[in-house]
Amino acid sequence: MTKHLIRLGCLLLALAIGGCQQAKDPVFHDQFFAFGTLIEISLYGVDTQLAESISKEIEQDFIGMHASWHAWQPGALSSLNEQLSRLEPATIDPAILPLLKEAGRLSQRSEGLFNPVIGNLIALWGFHDNPLPVGTLPDSIAISDLVKQAPTISDITIDDNFITSTNPSIAFDLGGFAKGYAIDRAIDRLRESGVENAIINAGGDLRVIGQHGDRPWRIGIRHPRKNGILASIEASGDTSIFTSGDYERFFEVDGQRYHHIIDPRTGYPANSTTSVTVIHSNAATADAAATALFVAGPDQWLSTARNMGIRYVMLIDKQGTIHINPAMQSRIHFEPGLDAQISLSAPLQ
Amino acid sequence: MTRADRILILLVLCAMPLVYYHLWFGNEPANYLLIRSSDNAPVTETLRSDRMLHITGPLGESIVEINNGRTRFVSSPCIGQVCVHSGWLSSAGGFSACLPNRISLTLVGQHPRFDAVNF
Repeated sequence: MTKHLIRLGCLLLALAIGGCQQAKDPVFHDQFFAFGTLIEISLYGVDTQLAESISKEIEQDFIGMHASWHAWQPGALSSLNEQLSRLEPATIDPAILPLLKEAGRLSQRSEGLFNPVIGNLIALWGFHDNPLPVGTLPDSIAISDLVKQAPTISDITIDDNFITSTNPSIAFDLGGFAKGYAIDRAIDRLRESGVENAIINAGGDLRVIGQHGDRPWRIGIRHPRKNGILASIEASGDTSIFTSGDYERFFEVDGQRYHHIIDPRTGYPANSTTSVTVIHSNAATADAAATALFVAGPDQWLSTARNMGIRYVMLIDKQGTIHINPAMQSRIHFEPGLDAQISLSAPLQ
Repeated sequence: MTRADRILILLVLCAMPLVYYHLWFGNEPANYLLIRSSDNAPVTETLRSDRMLHITGPLGESIVEINNGRTRFVSSPCIGQVCVHSGWLSSAGGFSACLPNRISLTLVGQHPRFDAVNF
């Protein structure tokens, strides 16, 4: 009897080990560069040939979108900006019309904290280009002048496919929004192709649909100040997870960090937030909301999130305190040994 | 069934979840290093030989060390030096990045802990 049990035990252990080692990865992975970052595509349970074909189509879409939507390279958006700076009525290229309308809608809901028309401020700081400026700050008077001109989405009118502006300082820069919108388009294309389980990850901001076989997708959230993972989220169905952080693009002058998320009210980088993570079903909304809530900061993020219809938020302030709403707290799993203070907010809805 | 049989059954039943836990969630050794940089296609590097890698990003050259199956940023032209101070990565799923220089290191194992990382 003992011999039989030993054999049974060995067999079960071998099955446990062998079963794990022989499991074939059912996820197709592909990567390419667009929007100045790495785009990663993960497709679960899709035939390899079909997956490769879909991935190539999405890559071409991303490259095309980036060219059309870039504010500072020759293209539809930069041409439009030139006309708007002269207060000339302009016809909007169909490739960017829905993008501009959606950006305008989200800007209004954020009460201007996500402001897609402060391109001149972005350029003044040098965040529109690579490499970033080293050792110099923009002229404070030039910043002040642009803030006084106060370009907002309400200065423009879009009628059918025509646009007019009453403010010559209007300049579209969709850096806080275009990546999310592009991810949404890519997800639409995946669904049209019959793909139901996937992740599109654009430089750390991502949208998942479906799940990984019989389990949810497992997403890690990187710590904004330390190396490694801060927390994780299990995502399935249709979930976009976007984080805006002061570590993404910045330079330092005299030991002070100047990052790329500009507060349109002051003309300077928003200075009370380290990072904001937002979950929403729509990637474009999550992208714009992450920017708006970063600018809103620890004192104003709750009202801004409510205005924008956001239900899941985690904001880390400059002191390292984690501000989180109850619904987000119930979805997120912090890593063991977390040494930050957590401030639980009132419910968002 | 003897007492020895019952003890054996107990041991086997105890061992099974431990084996599963170790294989699926434990500190699994990495198979290889995946390096992503903004201007290049992702590159895989074996962890079997100790060496220094010189990787160029938008800010300049970052130096990555592979030693005894581990990896780390030795130097990078970024100002914050977060990547350098973060130290060694030693098990599958380990991730480190120099975001200003747009270079990331990922230790890849057979069963990665996450399907994607948000940052």
